[in-house]
Amino acid sequence: MTSIDMPGERKIVTFSLGKQMFGIDMKALIEIREWEEPTPLPGVAPYIKGVTNLRGTVVPVVGLAERIGWTPSEVHSRSCILVVNIGGNQCGFLVDEVADIVLIKAEDVQPAPDVETGENVITGLVQITARAADGATEETGTMVSLLDLNTLSLTKNMDLAA
Amino acid sequence: MSSELDEIQAIFFEECAEGLTTAEQGLSAMAAGDVSPGVIAGVFRAVHSIKGGAGAFGHAALTAFSHRFENVLDEVRADRIPATPAITAVMLTAFDVLSDHVAAAKGTAPVPNDAAALAALDEILATKGAAAPAAAPGPAAPAPVAEPEADDFGFTPVAAAVEEFDPFGFEPVGVALEDLDAGEDSDWTVRFGPSRAALANGGEPLLVVREVEHLGGRVVDVDCSALPGLRDLDPEDSYLVWTLSVPGTVAENDIADCFDFVSPDSVIAITRASTPAPEAAPVAEVLPPPAPQPEPLPVHELIEQVQAVAAAIVHAPAPASPAPKPTEAPRAPAEPAAQTIRVDLAKLDMLLNLVGELVIRGSILADRLSPQDQQRVELPELARLTREIQDNVMSLRAQPIKQAFSRVPRMLRDLSAETGKQVALETVGEMTEVDKGVIEKIGDPLTHMIRNAVDHGIESPDERVAKGKPVEGTIHLSAEQKGARIFVRVADDGKGIDRARVRAKAVEKGIVAADAVLSNEEIDQLICAPGFSTAETISNISGRGVGMDVVRSNVEALGGRVEIGSVPGKGTTFTMILPLTLAILDGMVVRLAGQRYVLPLAAVVESVKPDPGQVRPMSPTSEVIELRGNYLPVKRLTDVFGFGGCGKRAPEDSLVIIVESEAGHVGLMVDTIEDRREVVIKSLDQNLHPIRGLGGATILGDGSIALILDVEALVGTTASASHHALKGLAA
Repeated sequence: MTSIDMPGERKIVTFSLGKQMFGIDMKALIEIREWEEPTPLPGVAPYIKGVTNLRGTVVPVVGLAERIGWTPSEVHSRSCILVVNIGGNQCGFLVDEVADIVLIKAEDVQPAPDVETGENVITGLVQITARAADGATEETGTMVSLLDLNTLSLTKNMDLAA
Repeated sequence: MSSELDEIQAIFFEECAEGLTTAEQGLSAMAAGDVSPGVIAGVFRAVHSIKGGAGAFGHAALTAFSHRFENVLDEVRADRIPATPAITAVMLTAFDVLSDHVAAAKGTAPVPNDAAALAALDEILATKGAAAPAAAPGPAAPAPVAEPEADDFGFTPVAAAVEEFDPFGFEPVGVALEDLDAGEDSDWTVRFGPSRAALANGGEPLLVVREVEHLGGRVVDVDCSALPGLRDLDPEDSYLVWTLSVPGTVAENDIADCFDFVSPDSVIAITRASTPAPEAAPVAEVLPPPAPQPEPLPVHELIEQVQAVAAAIVHAPAPASPAPKPTEAPRAPAEPAAQTIRVDLAKLDMLLNLVGELVIRGSILADRLSPQDQQRVELPELARLTREIQDNVMSLRAQPIKQAFSRVPRMLRDLSAETGKQVALETVGEMTEVDKGVIEKIGDPLTHMIRNAVDHGIESPDERVAKGKPVEGTIHLSAEQKGARIFVRVADDGKGIDRARVRAKAVEKGIVAADAVLSNEEIDQLICAPGFSTAETISNISGRGVGMDVVRSNVEALGGRVEIGSVPGKGTTFTMILPLTLAILDGMVVRLAGQRYVLPLAAVVESVKPDPGQVRPMSPTSEVIELRGNYLPVKRLTDVFGFGGCGKRAPEDSLVIIVESEAGHVGLMVDTIEDRREVVIKSLDQNLHPIRGLGGATILGDGSIALILDVEALVGTTASASHHALKGLAA
């Protein structure tokens, strides 16, 4: 199952928040964990759900939907935590469902149209062909928003606040 | 290859740093009036070893300067120049330039202008030289080295390298002073061949060799050429001659003492390598083929074995050629008792982390076992061992805070020179031991605090006189340990914070609203706001408006905080309150709103189960507990943390834990106490950011996370309120 990385291609992990599909760079992913109620923290932004124990390291868990301005995710049986590495810091993101790992080409990524007024967490949009789970669905393109992890960094936010 | 050289360079710079510290301590002691020979010799050795290393690595400017500095030190050491306060002052200045040279060699600073310092040093040599003829040629000698150094850096490496790598070549040109110098430098060569009589008297050559090794010497060669074939071997005779090399810093008498009990007819020769020792060259040549040519007899192999045994006494790391190693001379064999090795800090950190994991696993194991099994001998024993390992690992990282303080005197000298303000330094508690990580991180905040104190706090001499204060300002630098926290204070006796001006400036800069109502403490805190500076003109020293902001963020990143106290006209005190260690804590596990928290046991005084009516409201938002006739404030942690949603629990269903804090005794209301245990502190800011009221987090036996409470921050109401206000404003 090993594949050689071609120049201009990269792997992304796609997941859903509500009805939207998002993607992050596979290289940043440390692991995917089942949802487990984190230890809540006092006096932090509401989107920080708390901290959890990742093999001896205390890792914050962020409600990603809330963080980027969508309605907060409700935890259900397929909820999981994507543990990612952002500039050497670890962070867990609560997502609704992990969908797939797909290979995308750099030229297929469109820069995100500049519509947002606030911080822009979306670096680009890419159309992927959903892999039909049951084999019956015909190929339909799905829009995946690629997230800029650096914007989501908690430690970076702290610098601004302090 | 080059990385190897880099590594050696890195060691050299580490040694430079140590040397500079030693020299500074010595010079400070001299400035304080202690001019005993030991102190002066210490400074000399330090400067000398810097010079040696610098020469080897071709740092010409550093070599040249340290050389001139060393010349003066040598004269002082030899009592040809008295260590008067004036001369000590010149040497302190020279020391500062030397530090700059080291920094320049490292590439972290430009090459300093040392002309003034050199001139001062030369003047000392010249004037005192007139009085003492022996020293007269002194100033002349370094001239050829120093002159090119002053204006032509391209040329000097050659001069310096020649001087260092080939001290013997330099020797004939040298004068009395250089003679002394090289003599001090070069290693002793000791030849030792016990006689037959020595062995017959029960002399054990190995013990003698060991004793020399104890002085820092080592076996360079064993001469087995006299060894006959096995057939002719007389087991009672002595055939071997050892050649040992002993660092030049060891006194000849000390070496001779090792041979006190060896029969006088043995071969014992102690020579300086510098006096062209007839042995030196042959030894070097003989060494590469260490096996001489014994008769090729059938017993050949046996002899080889004998030689192997003899050679085994030669230390493994004996260098292939003992001659070209002048750089190694000042390896400080002075205290053979305290042997140290250098360890990469990352390795210690790794060890500390692993031990932390071990402790956690240990408690998980204990939790999983049935109560009977927990009492088994093995488990407590294992716990005890684990704790001992942990304590020891922790102590490896603990260092006196002196290391962080040591740069302050120099800074103050620079600052006084720049500002024209006179400042004296008082230091207290510099031996307080703190984790190395903390020491490293408080350097910058400390620098800013000291600069701030001199620049903004202490008044100009005229102003001070006008106010009836002593002309010389005082900065009081102290460190003390209180519980699991370390308090580092910088107090000045200057003018204090001008609150009206600070406020005006803050309004002007848009940091606070013009109509904001601020307490004195809140105004004081403003000076830590980003981009704040009241300095009228931006000076070299401070006033760029980043200083105190950096202090606060650095200290908070360490899990500490900064407190500011100021009395107008009397002075300002900055206190950094830091965690003593970044690793473990003796804690009480309490339960609160379904979550577990850890209270540092050091802060806990007692716990009280309140009777109905014992806790009473004092105002709609505050409560007190009556305890043995005293009323103490009580805080509900659920309220402090904003978890109060689920309705107020009756005090009689809760526990009040009385904690000790800066603000006196305060009760914290929690649901229950669960356990008492040592916990490994995991920082929150590693992946998140510091959170007011929390000192970190820990992982409990069952793998879940408990948050560690920071009692001071929870209790300090005013400070915390203003802090929050400020955070909001800053954001």
